[in-house]
Amino acid sequence: MFRKTHPLQSRSEIILRNIVVTAMVIFFTVFLIVPIGIAFAGSFHEWNPLSGTYNFLGLENYKEVFTSALFGKSMLNTLIFSVVVIFFRVALGLGIAYAIYSALVKHKSFFRALYYMPVVTPMVAVAFVWKFMYNPQIGMINQIFGLDVNWLMNPKTALLAVMIMTIWKDFGYAVVMFMAGLYSLPADALEAAKVDGANAWQTFRYITLPLLKPMTLFVVITSIISYIQAYVQILIMTEGGPGTATYLSSYIIYDEAFVKYNFGYASALSFVLFVITAVFTWLSFRVSGTEE
Amino acid sequence: MRRKVSVIALNTILLLLGVVTVYPFVWMLSSSFKQNSEIMALEQHLLPQTFVLDNYVNMNAHFNFMRFFANSLLITLVVTVIVVYTSTLCGFVLSKYEFKGRKLLFGFVLSTMMIPWCVTIIPKYSMIQSFGWMDSYKALIIPAMFSGFGIFMMKQHISALPDEILEAARMDGANEFYIFHRIVLPMSKNGISSIAIFQFLWTWEDFLWPYLVINSEEKQLLAVGLKMFNGQYSTDYGALFAATAISIIPVLLIYLFFQKQFIAGIASSAVKG
Repeated sequence: MFRKTHPLQSRSEIILRNIVVTAMVIFFTVFLIVPIGIAFAGSFHEWNPLSGTYNFLGLENYKEVFTSALFGKSMLNTLIFSVVVIFFRVALGLGIAYAIYSALVKHKSFFRALYYMPVVTPMVAVAFVWKFMYNPQIGMINQIFGLDVNWLMNPKTALLAVMIMTIWKDFGYAVVMFMAGLYSLPADALEAAKVDGANAWQTFRYITLPLLKPMTLFVVITSIISYIQAYVQILIMTEGGPGTATYLSSYIIYDEAFVKYNFGYASALSFVLFVITAVFTWLSFRVSGTEE
Repeated sequence: MRRKVSVIALNTILLLLGVVTVYPFVWMLSSSFKQNSEIMALEQHLLPQTFVLDNYVNMNAHFNFMRFFANSLLITLVVTVIVVYTSTLCGFVLSKYEFKGRKLLFGFVLSTMMIPWCVTIIPKYSMIQSFGWMDSYKALIIPAMFSGFGIFMMKQHISALPDEILEAARMDGANEFYIFHRIVLPMSKNGISSIAIFQFLWTWEDFLWPYLVINSEEKQLLAVGLKMFNGQYSTDYGALFAATAISIIPVLLIYLFFQKQFIAGIASSAVKG
Protein backbone atom coordinates (compact mmCIF):
# COMPACT_ATOMS: atom_id res chain seq x y z
CA MET A 1 0.00 0.00 0.00
CA PHE A 2 2.74 2.46 0.91
CA ARG A 3 5.08 1.60 -1.98
CA LYS A 4 6.87 4.41 -3.80
CA THR A 5 4.92 5.62 -6.81
CA HIS A 6 7.33 8.19 -8.16
CA PRO A 7 11.05 8.68 -7.60
CA LEU A 8 10.85 12.20 -6.17
CA GLN A 9 9.41 11.02 -2.87
CA SER A 10 11.70 11.77 0.00
CA ARG A 11 12.14 9.76 3.17
CA SER A 12 10.32 12.39 5.22
CA GLU A 13 7.36 12.30 2.84
CA ILE A 14 7.00 8.55 3.25
CA ILE A 15 7.31 8.77 7.04
CA LEU A 16 4.76 11.58 7.30
CA ARG A 17 2.35 9.84 4.96
CA ASN A 18 2.57 6.54 6.81
CA ILE A 19 2.00 8.18 10.19
CA VAL A 20 -1.01 10.16 8.95
CA VAL A 21 -2.66 7.34 7.01
CA THR A 22 -2.16 4.87 9.87
CA ALA A 23 -3.55 7.29 12.45
CA MET A 24 -6.61 8.03 10.31
CA VAL A 25 -7.33 4.39 9.64
CA ILE A 26 -6.99 3.42 13.31
CA PHE A 27 -9.10 6.34 14.52
CA PHE A 28 -11.98 5.85 12.09
CA THR A 29 -11.93 2.09 12.62
CA VAL A 30 -12.15 2.38 16.40
CA PHE A 31 -14.62 5.25 16.63
CA LEU A 32 -16.72 4.68 13.53
CA ILE A 33 -16.56 1.27 11.86
CA VAL A 34 -16.46 -0.83 15.03
CA PRO A 35 -19.34 1.18 16.59
CA ILE A 36 -21.43 0.76 13.44
CA GLY A 37 -20.80 -2.99 13.59
CA ILE A 38 -21.71 -3.15 17.29
CA ALA A 39 -24.88 -1.11 16.71
CA PHE A 40 -25.88 -3.30 13.78
CA ALA A 41 -25.42 -6.48 15.80
CA GLY A 42 -27.17 -4.87 18.76
CA SER A 43 -30.21 -3.98 16.67
CA PHE A 44 -31.03 -7.71 16.51
CA HIS A 45 -30.85 -8.11 20.28
CA GLU A 46 -32.74 -7.19 23.38
CA TRP A 47 -29.99 -5.00 24.78
CA ASN A 48 -30.31 -3.17 28.08
CA PRO A 49 -27.09 -2.13 29.87
CA LEU A 50 -28.88 -1.44 33.17
CA SER A 51 -30.22 -4.97 33.56
CA GLY A 52 -27.29 -6.46 31.67
CA THR A 53 -29.50 -8.19 29.10
CA TYR A 54 -28.23 -9.03 25.63
CA ASN A 55 -30.53 -11.67 24.11
CA PHE A 56 -30.95 -12.48 20.46
CA LEU A 57 -34.32 -11.35 19.09
CA GLY A 58 -33.90 -11.69 15.35
CA LEU A 59 -35.96 -9.09 13.52
CA GLU A 60 -38.23 -8.28 16.51
CA ASN A 61 -36.84 -4.77 17.03
CA TYR A 62 -37.32 -3.88 13.37
CA LYS A 63 -40.85 -5.29 13.45
CA GLU A 64 -41.55 -3.12 16.45
CA VAL A 65 -40.19 -0.04 14.67
CA PHE A 66 -42.50 -0.48 11.69
CA THR A 67 -45.59 -1.22 13.78
CA SER A 68 -45.00 1.48 16.39
CA ALA A 69 -47.61 4.23 16.27
CA LEU A 70 -45.20 6.63 17.98
CA PHE A 71 -42.54 6.04 15.32
CA GLY A 72 -45.13 6.64 12.58
CA LYS A 73 -46.23 9.84 14.24
CA SER A 74 -42.62 10.97 14.67
CA MET A 75 -41.88 10.31 10.99
CA LEU A 76 -44.90 12.39 10.02
CA ASN A 77 -43.73 15.19 12.36
CA THR A 78 -40.20 14.96 10.96
CA LEU A 79 -41.55 15.14 7.42
CA ILE A 80 -43.67 18.22 8.15
CA PHE A 81 -40.85 19.80 10.11
CA SER A 82 -38.24 19.18 7.38
CA VAL A 83 -40.40 20.22 4.43
CA VAL A 84 -41.54 23.47 6.05
CA VAL A 85 -38.17 24.45 7.52
CA ILE A 86 -36.24 23.57 4.35
CA PHE A 87 -38.75 25.47 2.18
CA PHE A 88 -38.39 28.65 4.24
CA ARG A 89 -34.67 28.21 4.66
CA VAL A 90 -34.13 27.98 0.90
CA ALA A 91 -36.72 30.64 -0.02
CA LEU A 92 -35.50 33.16 2.56
CA GLY A 93 -31.87 32.32 1.89
CA LEU A 94 -32.19 32.73 -1.86
CA GLY A 95 -34.38 35.85 -1.66
CA ILE A 96 -32.18 37.61 0.87
CA ALA A 97 -28.94 36.59 -0.83
CA TYR A 98 -30.24 37.91 -4.16
CA ALA A 99 -31.34 41.16 -2.52
CA ILE A 100 -27.94 41.67 -0.89
CA TYR A 101 -26.17 40.69 -4.13
CA SER A 102 -28.13 43.24 -6.17
CA ALA A 103 -26.61 46.66 -6.84
CA LEU A 104 -29.36 48.21 -4.71
CA VAL A 105 -27.85 47.24 -1.34
CA LYS A 106 -24.63 48.76 -0.06
CA HIS A 107 -23.63 47.18 3.23
CA LYS A 108 -23.36 43.65 1.89
CA SER A 109 -20.99 42.08 4.39
CA PHE A 110 -22.79 43.76 7.28
CA PHE A 111 -26.10 42.10 6.40
CA ARG A 112 -24.48 38.77 5.70
CA ALA A 113 -22.68 38.76 9.06
CA LEU A 114 -25.87 39.83 10.83
CA TYR A 115 -28.05 37.03 9.46
CA TYR A 116 -25.37 34.47 10.20
CA MET A 117 -25.32 35.24 13.93
CA PRO A 118 -28.02 32.74 15.00
CA VAL A 119 -26.26 29.99 13.02
CA VAL A 120 -23.17 30.19 15.21
CA THR A 121 -25.08 30.38 18.48
CA PRO A 122 -25.26 27.19 20.60
CA MET A 123 -28.53 25.35 20.05
CA VAL A 124 -29.11 24.53 23.73
CA ALA A 125 -28.90 28.20 24.69
CA VAL A 126 -30.97 29.40 21.72
CA ALA A 127 -33.66 26.83 22.47
CA PHE A 128 -33.87 28.18 26.03
CA VAL A 129 -34.12 31.77 24.82
CA TRP A 130 -37.02 30.82 22.54
CA LYS A 131 -38.65 28.73 25.23
CA PHE A 132 -38.70 31.87 27.39
CA MET A 133 -39.93 33.96 24.46
CA TYR A 134 -42.90 31.60 23.95
CA ASN A 135 -43.63 31.54 27.70
CA PRO A 136 -47.11 33.03 28.22
CA GLN A 137 -46.03 34.70 31.50
CA ILE A 138 -42.69 36.27 30.69
CA GLY A 139 -42.40 35.80 26.93
CA MET A 140 -42.29 38.68 24.49
CA ILE A 141 -43.97 36.96 21.53
CA ASN A 142 -47.51 37.19 22.93
CA GLN A 143 -46.74 40.74 24.12
CA ILE A 144 -45.60 41.97 20.71
CA PHE A 145 -48.40 40.37 18.71
CA GLY A 146 -51.06 40.90 21.38
CA LEU A 147 -51.81 37.16 21.49
CA ASP A 148 -52.75 34.83 24.29
CA VAL A 149 -51.35 31.52 23.12
CA ASN A 150 -49.50 28.96 25.21
CA TRP A 151 -47.33 28.10 22.25
CA LEU A 152 -45.38 25.11 23.54
CA MET A 153 -48.20 23.58 25.59
CA ASN A 154 -50.81 23.59 22.84
CA PRO A 155 -50.62 20.55 20.52
CA LYS A 156 -51.74 22.74 17.60
CA THR A 157 -48.96 25.30 17.93
CA ALA A 158 -46.06 23.43 19.53
CA LEU A 159 -44.51 22.00 16.36
CA LEU A 160 -45.06 25.31 14.56
CA ALA A 161 -43.29 27.13 17.38
CA VAL A 162 -40.27 24.83 17.16
CA MET A 163 -40.21 25.20 13.37
CA ILE A 164 -40.24 29.01 13.57
CA MET A 165 -37.33 28.91 16.00
CA THR A 166 -35.40 26.55 13.71
CA ILE A 167 -36.02 28.71 10.64
CA TRP A 168 -34.81 31.75 12.59
CA LYS A 169 -31.66 29.89 13.61
CA ASP A 170 -30.82 28.37 10.24
CA PHE A 171 -31.80 30.72 7.39
CA GLY A 172 -28.53 32.67 7.66
CA TYR A 173 -26.58 29.60 6.56
CA ALA A 174 -28.56 29.52 3.30
CA VAL A 175 -27.96 33.26 2.83
CA VAL A 176 -24.19 32.77 3.05
CA MET A 177 -24.28 29.74 0.74
CA PHE A 178 -26.41 31.40 -1.92
CA MET A 179 -24.29 34.55 -1.80
CA ALA A 180 -21.21 32.41 -2.40
CA GLY A 181 -23.05 30.79 -5.30
CA LEU A 182 -24.11 34.15 -6.75
CA TYR A 183 -20.60 35.60 -6.59
CA SER A 184 -19.16 32.61 -8.41
CA LEU A 185 -21.62 32.86 -11.33
CA PRO A 186 -19.94 33.26 -14.73
CA ALA A 187 -20.06 36.97 -15.58
CA ASP A 188 -20.38 36.32 -19.34
CA ALA A 189 -23.72 34.51 -18.98
CA LEU A 190 -25.23 37.47 -17.14
CA GLU A 191 -23.62 39.88 -19.60
CA ALA A 192 -25.08 37.96 -22.56
CA ALA A 193 -28.56 38.11 -21.02
CA LYS A 194 -28.21 41.87 -20.65
CA VAL A 195 -27.12 42.25 -24.28
CA ASP A 196 -30.14 40.18 -25.40
CA GLY A 197 -32.41 42.60 -23.56
CA ALA A 198 -33.59 40.30 -20.76
CA ASN A 199 -35.21 42.14 -17.86
CA ALA A 200 -34.24 41.56 -14.21
CA TRP A 201 -36.87 38.87 -13.61
CA GLN A 202 -36.05 37.00 -16.82
CA THR A 203 -32.36 37.05 -15.98
CA PHE A 204 -33.10 35.69 -12.52
CA ARG A 205 -35.58 33.06 -13.69
CA TYR A 206 -33.75 31.75 -16.76
CA ILE A 207 -30.07 32.40 -16.03
CA THR A 208 -29.38 32.82 -12.34
CA LEU A 209 -31.75 30.24 -10.92
CA PRO A 210 -30.63 27.34 -13.16
CA LEU A 211 -26.99 28.22 -12.49
CA LEU A 212 -27.66 28.12 -8.75
CA LYS A 213 -29.10 24.62 -8.96
CA PRO A 214 -26.01 22.84 -7.57
CA MET A 215 -25.93 25.22 -4.59
CA THR A 216 -29.65 24.75 -3.99
CA LEU A 217 -29.15 21.01 -4.04
CA PHE A 218 -26.26 21.31 -1.62
CA VAL A 219 -28.36 23.35 0.82
CA VAL A 220 -31.35 20.98 0.52
CA ILE A 221 -29.28 17.84 1.10
CA THR A 222 -27.31 19.19 4.05
CA SER A 223 -30.64 20.37 5.50
CA ILE A 224 -32.29 16.97 5.09
CA ILE A 225 -29.36 15.28 6.79
CA SER A 226 -29.34 17.71 9.69
CA TYR A 227 -33.13 17.86 10.27
CA ILE A 228 -33.51 14.09 10.33
CA GLN A 229 -30.94 14.25 13.14
CA ALA A 230 -32.45 17.23 15.00
CA TYR A 231 -33.39 16.63 18.63
CA VAL A 232 -31.84 19.32 20.85
CA GLN A 233 -34.58 21.90 20.32
CA ILE A 234 -37.19 19.23 21.14
CA LEU A 235 -35.33 18.07 24.24
CA ILE A 236 -35.11 21.63 25.59
CA MET A 237 -38.38 23.16 24.43
CA THR A 238 -41.07 20.43 24.52
CA GLU A 239 -39.62 16.97 25.33
CA GLY A 240 -41.81 15.64 22.53
CA GLY A 241 -45.00 16.99 24.01
CA PRO A 242 -47.70 17.99 24.49
CA GLY A 243 -48.71 14.36 24.00
CA THR A 244 -46.72 13.28 20.97
CA ALA A 245 -47.20 16.52 19.04
CA THR A 246 -43.49 17.33 18.68
CA TYR A 247 -41.86 13.88 18.69
CA LEU A 248 -39.21 13.97 15.96
CA SER A 249 -37.61 10.69 14.92
CA SER A 250 -34.18 11.49 16.43
CA TYR A 251 -35.77 12.54 19.69
CA ILE A 252 -37.33 9.06 19.99
CA ILE A 253 -33.89 7.53 19.65
CA TYR A 254 -32.55 9.77 22.41
CA ASP A 255 -35.57 8.85 24.54
CA GLU A 256 -35.38 5.09 23.92
CA ALA A 257 -31.60 4.92 24.33
CA PHE A 258 -30.78 7.25 27.19
CA VAL A 259 -34.03 7.62 29.11
CA LYS A 260 -35.39 4.06 28.80
CA TYR A 261 -32.06 2.31 28.03
CA ASN A 262 -33.56 0.14 25.26
CA PHE A 263 -30.26 0.05 23.38
CA GLY A 264 -31.32 -2.70 20.97
CA TYR A 265 -34.54 -1.03 19.92
CA ALA A 266 -32.83 2.37 19.68
CA SER A 267 -30.14 0.85 17.44
CA ALA A 268 -32.79 -0.60 15.14
CA LEU A 269 -34.44 2.84 15.00
CA SER A 270 -31.16 4.51 14.12
CA PHE A 271 -30.46 2.12 11.25
CA VAL A 272 -33.94 2.72 9.85
CA LEU A 273 -33.30 6.45 10.09
CA PHE A 274 -29.89 6.07 8.48
CA VAL A 275 -31.40 4.26 5.49
CA ILE A 276 -34.11 6.92 5.20
CA THR A 277 -31.45 9.67 5.20
CA ALA A 278 -29.51 7.89 2.48
CA VAL A 279 -32.65 7.36 0.36
CA PHE A 280 -33.69 11.01 0.63
CA THR A 281 -30.22 12.20 -0.26
CA TRP A 282 -30.19 9.91 -3.29
CA LEU A 283 -33.70 11.06 -4.25
CA SER A 284 -32.80 14.73 -4.16
CA PHE A 285 -29.90 13.99 -6.49
CA ARG A 286 -32.26 12.13 -8.82
CA VAL A 287 -35.02 14.74 -8.78
CA SER A 288 -32.64 17.52 -9.66
CA GLY A 289 -31.07 15.40 -12.39
CA THR A 290 -27.48 16.25 -11.49
CA GLU A 291 -26.22 12.76 -10.88
CA GLU A 292 -22.65 13.44 -11.82
CA MET B 1 -36.76 57.76 -8.95
CA ARG B 2 -37.98 54.19 -9.29
CA ARG B 3 -34.52 52.99 -8.44
CA LYS B 4 -34.45 55.14 -5.33
CA VAL B 5 -37.76 53.67 -4.13
CA SER B 6 -36.48 50.12 -4.65
CA VAL B 7 -33.27 50.94 -2.80
CA ILE B 8 -35.17 52.24 0.20
CA ALA B 9 -37.74 49.41 0.15
CA LEU B 10 -35.13 46.68 -0.14
CA ASN B 11 -32.86 48.10 2.55
CA THR B 12 -35.82 48.55 4.89
CA ILE B 13 -36.88 44.92 4.45
CA LEU B 14 -33.33 43.71 5.06
CA LEU B 15 -33.03 45.89 8.15
CA LEU B 16 -36.36 44.62 9.50
CA LEU B 17 -35.16 41.05 9.03
CA GLY B 18 -31.97 42.08 10.79
CA VAL B 19 -34.03 43.33 13.74
CA VAL B 20 -35.91 40.00 13.86
CA THR B 21 -32.54 38.23 13.83
CA VAL B 22 -31.01 40.27 16.63
CA TYR B 23 -34.07 40.89 18.80
CA PRO B 24 -33.98 37.58 20.75
CA PHE B 25 -30.33 38.23 21.69
CA VAL B 26 -31.07 41.77 22.83
CA TRP B 27 -34.12 40.62 24.77
CA MET B 28 -32.16 37.87 26.50
CA LEU B 29 -29.23 40.12 27.38
CA SER B 30 -31.44 42.91 28.63
CA SER B 31 -33.61 40.52 30.65
CA SER B 32 -30.50 39.20 32.35
CA PHE B 33 -30.06 42.66 33.94
CA LYS B 34 -33.68 42.88 35.13
CA GLN B 35 -35.09 42.01 38.53
CA ASN B 36 -37.39 39.00 38.59
CA SER B 37 -40.32 41.25 39.49
CA GLU B 38 -39.70 43.22 36.32
CA ILE B 39 -39.35 40.10 34.16
CA MET B 40 -42.72 38.87 35.46
CA ALA B 41 -44.42 42.28 35.32
CA LEU B 42 -47.49 42.76 33.15
CA GLU B 43 -46.08 45.86 31.55
CA GLN B 44 -42.93 44.91 29.65
CA HIS B 45 -40.09 47.15 28.53
CA LEU B 46 -37.27 46.02 26.31
CA LEU B 47 -34.62 47.75 28.43
CA PRO B 48 -34.34 47.17 32.19
CA GLN B 49 -36.03 49.92 34.21
CA THR B 50 -33.70 49.25 37.14
CA PHE B 51 -30.40 47.83 36.01
CA VAL B 52 -29.16 45.06 38.34
CA LEU B 53 -26.24 42.62 38.30
CA ASP B 54 -27.88 40.36 40.91
CA ASN B 55 -28.74 37.68 38.39
CA TYR B 56 -25.09 37.10 37.52
CA VAL B 57 -24.26 36.89 41.23
CA ASN B 58 -27.23 34.61 42.08
CA MET B 59 -26.46 32.30 39.21
CA ASN B 60 -23.14 31.43 40.85
CA ALA B 61 -24.49 31.37 44.38
CA HIS B 62 -26.93 28.57 43.56
CA PHE B 63 -24.71 26.68 41.27
CA ASN B 64 -21.07 26.59 40.35
CA PHE B 65 -21.82 28.04 36.97
CA MET B 66 -18.46 29.65 36.28
CA ARG B 67 -16.86 26.26 36.90
CA PHE B 68 -18.91 24.81 34.02
CA PHE B 69 -17.87 27.77 31.95
CA ALA B 70 -14.17 27.20 32.66
CA ASN B 71 -14.48 23.44 31.96
CA SER B 72 -16.22 24.10 28.66
CA LEU B 73 -13.63 26.65 27.65
CA LEU B 74 -10.77 24.24 28.41
CA ILE B 75 -12.28 21.24 26.60
CA THR B 76 -13.43 23.32 23.65
CA LEU B 77 -10.02 24.92 23.18
CA VAL B 78 -8.15 21.61 23.46
CA VAL B 79 -10.47 19.80 21.03
CA THR B 80 -10.45 22.72 18.58
CA VAL B 81 -6.65 22.94 18.49
CA ILE B 82 -6.31 19.17 18.01
CA VAL B 83 -8.94 19.03 15.26
CA VAL B 84 -7.44 21.99 13.40
CA TYR B 85 -4.02 20.34 13.49
CA THR B 86 -5.16 16.84 12.46
CA SER B 87 -7.49 18.20 9.76
CA THR B 88 -4.77 20.33 8.20
CA LEU B 89 -2.26 17.49 8.38
CA CYS B 90 -4.64 14.92 6.84
CA GLY B 91 -5.83 17.48 4.29
CA PHE B 92 -2.21 18.10 3.27
CA VAL B 93 -1.39 14.41 2.86
CA LEU B 94 -4.63 13.68 0.99
CA SER B 95 -4.29 16.61 -1.40
CA LYS B 96 -0.56 16.87 -2.11
CA TYR B 97 0.74 13.30 -1.93
CA GLU B 98 0.23 10.63 -4.58
CA PHE B 99 -0.22 7.16 -3.18
CA LYS B 100 -2.27 4.06 -3.73
CA GLY B 101 -5.58 4.07 -1.93
CA ARG B 102 -5.68 7.86 -1.59
CA LYS B 103 -9.00 8.22 -3.39
CA LEU B 104 -10.46 5.37 -1.40
CA LEU B 105 -9.35 6.93 1.86
CA PHE B 106 -10.78 10.31 0.91
CA GLY B 107 -14.06 8.75 -0.18
CA PHE B 108 -14.16 7.02 3.17
CA VAL B 109 -13.58 10.32 4.99
CA LEU B 110 -16.44 11.87 2.99
CA SER B 111 -18.77 9.02 3.85
CA THR B 112 -18.09 9.46 7.58
CA MET B 113 -20.01 12.74 7.36
CA MET B 114 -23.13 10.87 6.23
CA ILE B 115 -23.37 8.72 9.38
CA PRO B 116 -26.01 10.11 11.77
CA TRP B 117 -24.91 10.62 15.40
CA CYS B 118 -27.55 8.18 16.60
CA VAL B 119 -25.98 5.17 14.83
CA THR B 120 -22.65 5.32 16.66
CA ILE B 121 -23.44 6.97 19.97
CA ILE B 122 -24.74 3.89 21.83
CA PRO B 123 -21.72 1.67 21.00
CA LYS B 124 -19.34 4.58 21.66
CA TYR B 125 -20.93 5.01 25.06
CA SER B 126 -20.48 1.28 25.83
CA MET B 127 -16.90 1.39 24.56
CA ILE B 128 -16.02 4.36 26.77
CA GLN B 129 -17.42 2.40 29.73
CA SER B 130 -15.31 -0.64 28.95
CA PHE B 131 -12.16 1.49 28.39
CA GLY B 132 -12.71 2.88 31.89
CA TRP B 133 -12.85 6.43 30.55
CA MET B 134 -16.17 7.36 32.17
CA ASP B 135 -16.15 10.69 34.00
CA SER B 136 -12.78 11.57 32.54
CA TYR B 137 -11.91 14.20 29.95
CA LYS B 138 -10.30 11.46 27.84
CA ALA B 139 -13.85 10.51 26.86
CA LEU B 140 -14.50 14.03 25.58
CA ILE B 141 -11.17 14.56 23.81
CA ILE B 142 -9.96 11.27 22.29
CA PRO B 143 -13.10 10.31 20.28
CA ALA B 144 -13.12 13.86 18.84
CA MET B 145 -9.51 14.01 17.63
CA PHE B 146 -10.19 13.60 13.91
CA SER B 147 -13.08 15.19 12.06
CA GLY B 148 -14.32 14.00 8.67
CA PHE B 149 -15.73 17.45 7.98
CA GLY B 150 -12.46 19.14 8.97
CA ILE B 151 -10.34 16.84 6.79
CA PHE B 152 -12.69 17.37 3.84
CA MET B 153 -12.57 21.16 4.22
CA MET B 154 -8.79 21.30 4.58
CA LYS B 155 -8.25 19.02 1.61
CA GLN B 156 -10.31 21.42 -0.50
CA HIS B 157 -8.31 24.41 0.72
CA ILE B 158 -4.85 22.89 0.48
CA SER B 159 -5.49 21.56 -3.05
CA ALA B 160 -5.62 25.21 -4.11
CA LEU B 161 -2.10 25.92 -2.78
CA PRO B 162 0.35 26.06 -5.70
CA ASP B 163 2.65 23.02 -5.89
CA GLU B 164 5.54 25.24 -7.01
CA ILE B 165 5.91 26.74 -3.53
CA LEU B 166 6.22 23.29 -1.98
CA GLU B 167 8.59 22.12 -4.72
CA ALA B 168 10.78 25.20 -4.25
CA ALA B 169 11.07 24.48 -0.54
CA ARG B 170 11.93 20.84 -1.30
CA MET B 171 14.66 22.02 -3.69
CA ASP B 172 16.09 24.08 -0.83
CA GLY B 173 16.34 20.88 1.17
CA ALA B 174 13.35 21.36 3.46
CA ASN B 175 11.84 18.15 4.76
CA GLU B 176 8.09 17.49 4.76
CA PHE B 177 7.63 18.26 8.46
CA TYR B 178 9.18 21.68 7.94
CA ILE B 179 7.08 22.27 4.82
CA PHE B 180 3.88 21.38 6.64
CA HIS B 181 4.53 23.49 9.73
CA ARG B 182 6.21 26.48 8.12
CA ILE B 183 4.45 26.70 4.73
CA VAL B 184 1.18 24.78 4.59
CA LEU B 185 -0.15 25.70 8.07
CA PRO B 186 0.46 29.45 7.73
CA MET B 187 -0.95 29.50 4.19
CA SER B 188 -4.23 27.82 5.19
CA LYS B 189 -5.49 30.59 7.46
CA ASN B 190 -8.97 30.93 5.92
CA GLY B 191 -9.69 27.24 6.02
CA ILE B 192 -8.29 26.96 9.53
CA SER B 193 -10.39 29.79 10.90
CA SER B 194 -13.61 28.41 9.48
CA ILE B 195 -12.92 24.94 10.88
CA ALA B 196 -11.82 26.46 14.17
CA ILE B 197 -15.12 28.34 14.53
CA PHE B 198 -17.24 25.35 13.53
CA GLN B 199 -15.37 22.99 15.81
CA PHE B 200 -15.44 25.50 18.65
CA LEU B 201 -19.20 25.88 18.24
CA TRP B 202 -19.87 22.14 17.95
CA THR B 203 -17.82 21.25 21.02
CA TRP B 204 -19.18 24.20 22.98
CA GLU B 205 -22.81 23.35 22.23
CA ASP B 206 -22.56 19.56 22.36
CA PHE B 207 -25.04 18.38 24.92
CA LEU B 208 -25.54 14.65 24.68
CA TRP B 209 -21.97 13.34 24.78
CA PRO B 210 -20.80 15.21 27.93
CA TYR B 211 -24.19 14.47 29.50
CA LEU B 212 -23.57 10.75 28.96
CA VAL B 213 -19.90 10.37 29.86
CA ILE B 214 -19.36 12.97 32.62
CA ASN B 215 -21.00 12.20 35.95
CA SER B 216 -19.43 14.44 38.55
CA GLU B 217 -20.78 17.95 38.75
CA GLU B 218 -17.39 19.64 39.10
CA LYS B 219 -16.27 18.22 35.74
CA GLN B 220 -19.49 18.95 33.86
CA LEU B 221 -19.68 21.27 30.84
CA LEU B 222 -21.79 24.35 30.21
CA ALA B 223 -24.51 23.03 27.87
CA VAL B 224 -25.36 20.24 30.33
CA GLY B 225 -25.03 22.67 33.24
CA LEU B 226 -27.50 25.03 31.62
CA LYS B 227 -30.08 22.25 31.33
CA MET B 228 -29.48 21.10 34.93
CA PHE B 229 -29.79 24.69 36.11
CA ASN B 230 -33.08 25.09 34.26
CA GLY B 231 -34.38 21.92 35.82
CA GLN B 232 -33.56 23.00 39.36
CA TYR B 233 -34.26 26.73 39.36
CA SER B 234 -36.94 26.92 36.70
CA THR B 235 -38.57 29.94 38.30
CA ASP B 236 -35.52 32.11 38.85
CA TYR B 237 -35.85 33.61 35.39
CA GLY B 238 -33.29 36.34 35.96
CA ALA B 239 -30.55 33.85 36.79
CA LEU B 240 -31.61 31.66 33.86
CA PHE B 241 -31.24 34.59 31.48
CA ALA B 242 -27.83 35.37 32.93
CA ALA B 243 -26.71 31.75 32.55
CA THR B 244 -27.96 31.61 28.96
CA ALA B 245 -26.25 34.90 28.13
CA ILE B 246 -22.96 33.57 29.51
CA SER B 247 -23.16 30.48 27.32
CA ILE B 248 -23.91 32.42 24.13
CA ILE B 249 -21.59 35.41 24.40
CA PRO B 250 -18.15 33.73 23.97
CA VAL B 251 -19.21 32.08 20.73
CA LEU B 252 -20.71 35.28 19.36
CA LEU B 253 -17.56 37.22 20.24
CA ILE B 254 -15.33 34.71 18.48
CA TYR B 255 -17.63 34.78 15.47
CA LEU B 256 -17.70 38.59 15.28
CA PHE B 257 -13.92 38.67 15.63
CA PHE B 258 -13.23 36.13 12.85
CA GLN B 259 -16.33 36.50 10.70
CA LYS B 260 -14.50 37.69 7.55
CA GLN B 261 -12.10 34.76 7.27
CA PHE B 262 -14.83 32.47 8.42
CA ILE B 263 -17.42 33.37 5.79
CA ALA B 264 -14.74 33.37 3.10
CA GLY B 265 -13.60 29.92 4.22
CA ILE B 266 -16.99 28.24 4.52
CA ALA B 267 -18.35 29.73 1.31
CA SER B 268 -15.35 28.82 -0.85
CA SER B 269 -15.39 25.20 0.30
CA ALA B 270 -19.02 24.82 -0.74
CA VAL B 271 -18.46 26.37 -4.17
CA LYS B 272 -15.55 24.07 -4.91
CA GLY B 273 -17.09 21.01 -3.27
